Parts: sequence; structure tokens; C-alpha cells
Amino acid sequence: MLRAEPLVKIQLLMLASEAPDAALELARFGVFNPGSFNGKSAASEALPDLLPESPAERYREAWLEAESRLSKLLEQCGDSRPLVFPDDAAAPSLDDLQELNAWLKEVWTACLACHEGEERIQDERKHLDALEETLSKLERLNVDLAHLLRSDSLLSVNIGSLPANGLKRVSEALSMTGTLVSQFDHVGDQIFAVIAGPRTRQDEVRGLLAQAGWRELAVPEELRTHPQEARAWLENERQQLDAMSGAECKIMGGLREQFGPRLHEARLRVALARPLAEAALAGVRGKGGLAALAGWVPRRELQELRKTLESRFRGRYMLDVREPSPHEAADVPSLVRYPGWLKPFVPLVKSYGVPRYGEFDPALPFALTYLLLFGAMFGDIGHGGVILLLSLLFVRKLGRMALVGAAAGVVSMIFGVLYGSIFGYEDILEPVWLSPLHNPVHVLSVAVGFGVGFIVFTLLVNARNKWVAGHRAEALFDSTGIAGLVFYLGAASGLASVAGASIVAGISQNAAWMTAILGIVVVAGFKWYEAKGGLGERILVTAIETLETGVNLFSNTLSFMRVAAFSLNHVALALAIFTLAAGLSVAGHWFTIALGNVVIIVLEGGIVAIQALRLMYYEGFSRFFSGDGVEFVPLRLEAQVGKY
Amino acid sequence: MSAYLNTRVSLYSGRLWHAEDFDVLLRATDAEIADTLAERGLVQLVAGFGASEHAPAAANDPLSLEQRIIAQTLDETRVLIRPLNGAARNFLIYWTARFEVTNLKTLLRGKMTGERSAALLARLTPMGSFGRLDHQELSLAEDVGELLRRLEAGPYAAIVRQARRAFEQSHDPFNLDAALDRAYYEGLAQRASALESCAGPGFRNLMGNLIDRINLVWLLRYRFNYNLPPAQVYFLLVGSHYSLTGARLRELAALGSPEAVLAELPQEWRTRLDAEQGIPGVFATMDRIAAEYAVKVLRTDAPAITRAFAYLILRERDLRSVRAVLRGRQLGLPAADIRIALHQAPQEVM
Repeated sequence: MLRAEPLVKIQLLMLASEAPDAALELARFGVFNPGSFNGKSAASEALPDLLPESPAERYREAWLEAESRLSKLLEQCGDSRPLVFPDDAAAPSLDDLQELNAWLKEVWTACLACHEGEERIQDERKHLDALEETLSKLERLNVDLAHLLRSDSLLSVNIGSLPANGLKRVSEALSMTGTLVSQFDHVGDQIFAVIAGPRTRQDEVRGLLAQAGWRELAVPEELRTHPQEARAWLENERQQLDAMSGAECKIMGGLREQFGPRLHEARLRVALARPLAEAALAGVRGKGGLAALAGWVPRRELQELRKTLESRFRGRYMLDVREPSPHEAADVPSLVRYPGWLKPFVPLVKSYGVPRYGEFDPALPFALTYLLLFGAMFGDIGHGGVILLLSLLFVRKLGRMALVGAAAGVVSMIFGVLYGSIFGYEDILEPVWLSPLHNPVHVLSVAVGFGVGFIVFTLLVNARNKWVAGHRAEALFDSTGIAGLVFYLGAASGLASVAGASIVAGISQNAAWMTAILGIVVVAGFKWYEAKGGLGERILVTAIETLETGVNLFSNTLSFMRVAAFSLNHVALALAIFTLAAGLSVAGHWFTIALGNVVIIVLEGGIVAIQALRLMYYEGFSRFFSGDGVEFVPLRLEAQVGKY
Repeated sequence: MSAYLNTRVSLYSGRLWHAEDFDVLLRATDAEIADTLAERGLVQLVAGFGASEHAPAAANDPLSLEQRIIAQTLDETRVLIRPLNGAARNFLIYWTARFEVTNLKTLLRGKMTGERSAALLARLTPMGSFGRLDHQELSLAEDVGELLRRLEAGPYAAIVRQARRAFEQSHDPFNLDAALDRAYYEGLAQRASALESCAGPGFRNLMGNLIDRINLVWLLRYRFNYNLPPAQVYFLLVGSHYSLTGARLRELAALGSPEAVLAELPQEWRTRLDAEQGIPGVFATMDRIAAEYAVKVLRTDAPAITRAFAYLILRERDLRSVRAVLRGRQLGLPAADIRIALHQAPQEVM
């Protein structure tokens, strides 16, 4: 729970024809994270040279195409039946997959034609609507269209529509051919216009209009002579479109009926092909009839994996296993198993980053400290109770996050008991511990003391992380390592003694300061050793970085004063509301109290939640947690299309 | 913020190339090229010339030279954009979008020829944080129609809409390309006009040089290479309020020969342009005129965005020349031929 599970790197060598099944078996196994071939063991180092080909690339390509076509088809036809993977189901070979892909292409092309046809019909319907509007205006104009559009004239006349934003440019361009454009209507982003010019230059005009997205209105004879006939003609056009749409629907329905059952089977085969296609992204090597897969599995699952492979491939494979080398720590994925109650907090940690393999996993201390800080800043039995109730009420909507809300509510209630606060009233319950309003200095001291403890913890964790990663000098001598810790403890004890307190009993003020000086000298020495460049630059870098060590540690400690400040703020806000309510009538009084409490819960609750998160991220995580680890993402059999 | 940008542009200006620098690159041994490029801040281009301390992992970079040049341009633009906001930021972001429009055209051509999606993807330029298209998804479109419909539902809808209608009417790839190019540059001119009042005359002239050059070269090409009628040629040009206004372009498009067109241009261009150069020669001369002006702007105390734009214009011009040298060397061309190429037409990015 506090660190990632130990992993081993495996390289599985098998017959290329069995690679899809091997990947499928690893996906069924459930804890294989594909990785690249960049190992350092004797066997694996030579592997990229021995197996220079990438046999799964074509497989992945075919799978991507098939998957894309299938998801588009499912969008049209739908197939919500759950996928059931038979135990003996095999992954399709490359030939099978290509054949499936070709079939899907055929079906999708047929479907696309229907789909595009339907889109065109929709376009036509919109166009007819616009035309109807336009023709009603033409009716009022009483234009003799027959005269206008007759073909034996020297004048060429076109009626149609074009995008409104292109009108100016089209008019200017057409003026070069002696052609006029007259707009007579504007519907949506289209304008309707009559274009008239010399018939001798019609070819020039036609090319330009095609470029401009001009859409000719196929005005029928009867409309030309009697514009009033337009409605009947439009109605007829609409019926034809409906018939065409019905035909398209019929075709689509036929396609669904014809291909539906096979589509379900296609879904299954695409899902079975997914593991190798996905593994190919990390890299599958091969040569001739051989292929090799590489990746990470938990060490404790190794025996189980051997058994699984043996029962499936009966010796037709070779498994190379090795421990991760220190230089590849950044590439090893982190697999941490969390208990159910901790899982809701994990996304909050991962929004900062993923711990590197071997690093301390901060999820548990995060959860505990976050709740503690929230409760301390927002301690109130009533407000905590409301948060708890709301979290339980909206448990379906909030999912796992409801647990974070409920836990925050409970801790807020516990602190409410300690502070003796209920809906801001401080005089109903006796505080079990203290009332922040009446003991502000005490609360501030406790907050700073907590900050010191928290920073000591982060320094220790960082030193441990560095040590484990092999950066031992940094773990011992750097400002965020043991030397920094010695300085911090010494300086904090010295300052506490000056203030009349003592952090560690029995340590004199002089001893504390000597410890601090020893720590900072070691840090400065290490900075000097690490600094590059000329003498002046090294002096400057060492001086600034050493100074920064002290400033950072103490400014971070003082940051924790906000915990006390917010606990005081909580009471102060409640007091402000009571003062406002006191001057009002009974109804106004209770309305103000209720509204004020809502404001406190929503506004202050939100701010406190963010502040607690900020303290965790910037005063905690940034000190020991690089967050640039790789998450363990195992190959899995996915029942849904469109995952990648 | 403008002080920061001005300082940044001044620092970057020191990396611009002089004519003699290309000679140094021509004479350099293969082993020296990486260091010469790295000294000029062209870390992205070092790949392919052996690992160096400036780019140790570069040897494994699968990108082509052209893709690396664009990556270099994007890296520098990203730094210059950082302190900007509002119209200036929008303008420079849109300036980078022409690489994405090139990707879009590659996708469309790939779909027309039925190219495999993996091969198509390898030819697209990675846009990094400037990328707004899902290359993987678009490469899996079944045909041009489906691709255009998907694009129309995305961030380039304004550019694609007109192009789709033009293509549906004619099924002519030329119409598609021409409509995309025109829509892109009209979008650029529109964004520039929002800046022109605050970015000063220098910015307006830089934009004017760019749009006028594009319009003149397209006009000559469409009218005299493709023999399109004047009205269609005019329609395909970028709407402009710079030296070559709409009325001027209509007059030029109606003329009967390249010589007649060049003779009607403003005096300062006419003296330097020669119809015998051909269209690439006209482009190179106009490009040189624009570069000379950009150098002047860079040396003035013009607003920061104007100087940044001038720098980007000059940097891209340099990169095109660097590409000519590197490509020439790869092909084993004699140095004299590469020098001639350097003085001739730089290729258009779009």
C-alpha cells in the first residue's frame, strides 16, 4: 500500500503465428503491462539485433482500421449486447483480421452511402424549406420567370443559392464577365440570387460558380410559367424526398438485418485481436517465424504466468525474466494495490502525478493528512453533518468521491466536538479541546507544530526515495535529504527555544544552533560539489541555493498557519452572520442564519477543500514526489469498442 | 510583457543567418554540420547528422528534414507566443495553423489515392501543442467525403466548409486545394486586420508584402499556367486591402500576358521584377523584398508583436535555405548548384 509491488521484466519468445494468442493469454492473465525492448540483461540486450522486424505493426494497422469501421457501424446499427469471451476463443491471425477488416470496409461503405444519402436528403429538405420561403416572396413580386429563364434568349439566367459570405467576391468576379448578380433573399447562411449575363461567357461563369459553391435551383417548367404552382411542386418534391429517405431507411434496415448477427461476431473478434494490437504500440519484435513480446509482471505472479503459458503453449515458448535495473527505474510502471476505502483518494494523488517505481506511495498519508487538515480548518458538527448527509444522498452521482465527502464530513464533525461548534454556535456545546476564537495563539502554535512534523516526514520520505533510487549522496547531503533535515530540526529547535518552547526535551539552545549550522554547512558543501562552471558562478550558485534551503523550509512551515487562520475564519464568518441576523425580525433572523450557513458550507467549505489540497501538493508532494512515474496499465480484454 | 518579448526577439535575431553562413554550412564536413546548426539554435535540425552534446537522442528521431524544420519553427513560435494575449496571440497561433492546413491537404490527397493510414500518418507533421486535429482518427476516414464531413465538425470548419462545397460541385482536387489555401489566408488577413491599428504600419506592411506576394504569384500561375478565365482567377485570390486591392487584382487578372501584368505593378516592384524569371523567380524576388523590409522592422523600435512577426518571417526564410543546403548535400549536388538554388526560388510552405 505504501510502495509499488516488485515487478520483473519478462520477454516472451514464441512462434510468430502464435503471437496473437500469446498476447490474448497475457490479457486474460490480467497483470501484464507491455514494455519496450531496452533491457540490459545479456539475453535481452542482443534481442533487438537478433529480432530486427516489427511483425505486429501490420496487425495493429489492420486492427485500428477494423476497430474504427466497427465503431462507426455500431454507431449506426447499434449492438448493445454484452460480449462473452469463450474460454477457448482464439485471437484472429493477421489474415483473419485483414479479411474481417475488408468485410467491415464493404459493410461500412454500403452504410456510408446510406448515411451520406440521408445527409443529402436532410440538406435537400433544408433547401426546399428555404426555397418555399423564397418563392412566397417571388409570388408577391409576380415575376415572369418563363420570360426570364427561356433558353433561346441571348441572356443566360441562373437562379440559385450560394454562401452569404461569398456574395461580394462572386459579384466582383462575375462583373468581369459582364454578369450581374441580384440577391433577392437571405435564408440562414445562404443567399438566393439571380445571375444574368451574356450567354457567350457562360462557360467562364460556370467554372467560377462551381468554385464558389453555387447551387442551381432546378426550377420546373410549371413554376416558370406560374409561380403560384410552386407549392404543389414543392409538396411533390418533399414527397419524393420522403420516399427516398424511406428507401434509405429500408436499405439501412436491410443492412442491419443482414449484417447485425455478424457484426456481433466481428465485435468479439476485434476485441480478441486488441491485446496484440495494443502490445504492438510498445513494441513486438520478430524475425521470420519468431516473435517476442516484452513487458512487466508482478514478481509474485510469475509462477502463475509460467503455468498459464505452459498449459496453453506446451513448451513452444521461451520466457526470459530479469529484475529491473536501477537505470530504468523511470520506465518501470508502478503497480500499487489499494484497499477499497483508500481508492477514492487515489485520483487526488494521481492528479499531481504517478509515483515512480520504488518511490514511497503517498496515497495513505495523503488521505489521513488531507482529512485532518480539512477537519481542523472546517470543524463544526452541523456543517460536517450536512456534508456527510449530502455525500450519502448523492452517492450515485458522486460515485467513489462520495466517500471522500463523507469522511471529510465525519472529521469535520469530530473537530466540531473538539471546538464545541455547531452551525457556528459556540455556546451550545462545551469544547472538548478548545475554542479557536478564544485561543488563537494556541491554535497557531499547534498548526505550526503540525507543519514542522509534516515537513520532517516529507524530508525523511524524500531521503528514502533518493536512497532507494541509488542517489545516495543526494539522500544524505542535499537540502531535501538528511543534511537538510538536520539543519531544519536544529533551526526549528533553536527558534522554539528562543520562543520559550522546546521541540526535543533535553536539547539546549546552543546544541540546537550547532546542529543547524552543521546541517547547513553540509548542504552548502554538497551544493558546491554539485555546482558546475567557474569559481564565481559556483560561489553564487552555492550561496543562493543554500539560502533558498533555509527560506523554503521555513516559509513552507509558516504556510501551515493557514490551518489555524481558516479555523478562526470559520468562527468569524459565523459571528458575522449572527450579527446580521440579530438586527432582523424572527423570520428574517432565521432566514439569514439558514442562508449564512449555506454560504459557509458552499463557499468556505470549497475554499478549505482547495487549501488542504494545496498544502498537500505544494508543501508536501513537491518535496519528495517527482510524479513522473508510469502507471501500470495491463493488457485486458475490453468488451467495448472505441477504447483506443 | 512587451519588454520581455522585445528582448526575446532581439536575442533570437542574433541567430538569423547571413549569406556567408550558408557558405560555411556548405563547406562544413558532415561531422561539423550538427555543431554549426546547434550554434544557430537549430536543435531540431541536428537530428540526422549524428548525436551531439546538443541533441544526444537526435539520431533516433524518425522525422523528415521538413518535419524537423516545422518543429523548429513551432518551438520558437511557442516561446514568442508565451507573453502575448488577445488578438496578437490569436494571430500568431493562426500563423502556425498553415502547417496544420498542409497536414489537412496531405490527408485529403491520401484519401483520394487510397493511401494506407499508417503511411499517411507518417507523412503528417506533428504539431505538438499547436495541433488541433486528431490525425489518427482522421486518417481512418473511409474517403474524402467522410473526411471533409469530419473536418467540418472540427476546429477548421470555417476553412473546410467552402472547400467541401466546391469539391462536391466539381470533384476537382484543384478546387479543393485552392479553396483551402484561400480560406486560410483570408482568415489570416482577417486576424491581422484586428491588430493593424495597434501594431503600427510596420505590421501592416509585413502582412501586405505577404498577401500581395501570394496574390501575385497565384494570379500568374492560375492565369498563365492553368489558363483559367480572369473572373475565376480573381475569385481564387485572397481578398486584400493592401497594395494589390480587389480592383487592382481584377485589372491585372484581365491582362493577357505575364509581361503585361508585371508592367502594371507598383513602381518599386516593377524595377526588380522580370517576366523572364518565370513565376518562381517572381516569387523569389518578392520574397527578397519582403525579407529586406522585415530586417528593417526588426532593427526599429516597432511594437513587440510586429518585431516578432518580422523575426518569424526571416527565420522561416532562413530555414528554407538551410533545407536547400542540407538537401543538396544529401543528394550530392555540387556546391555551385546549391548556391544557385539558394539565390533562386524558395519554395512556398503551402
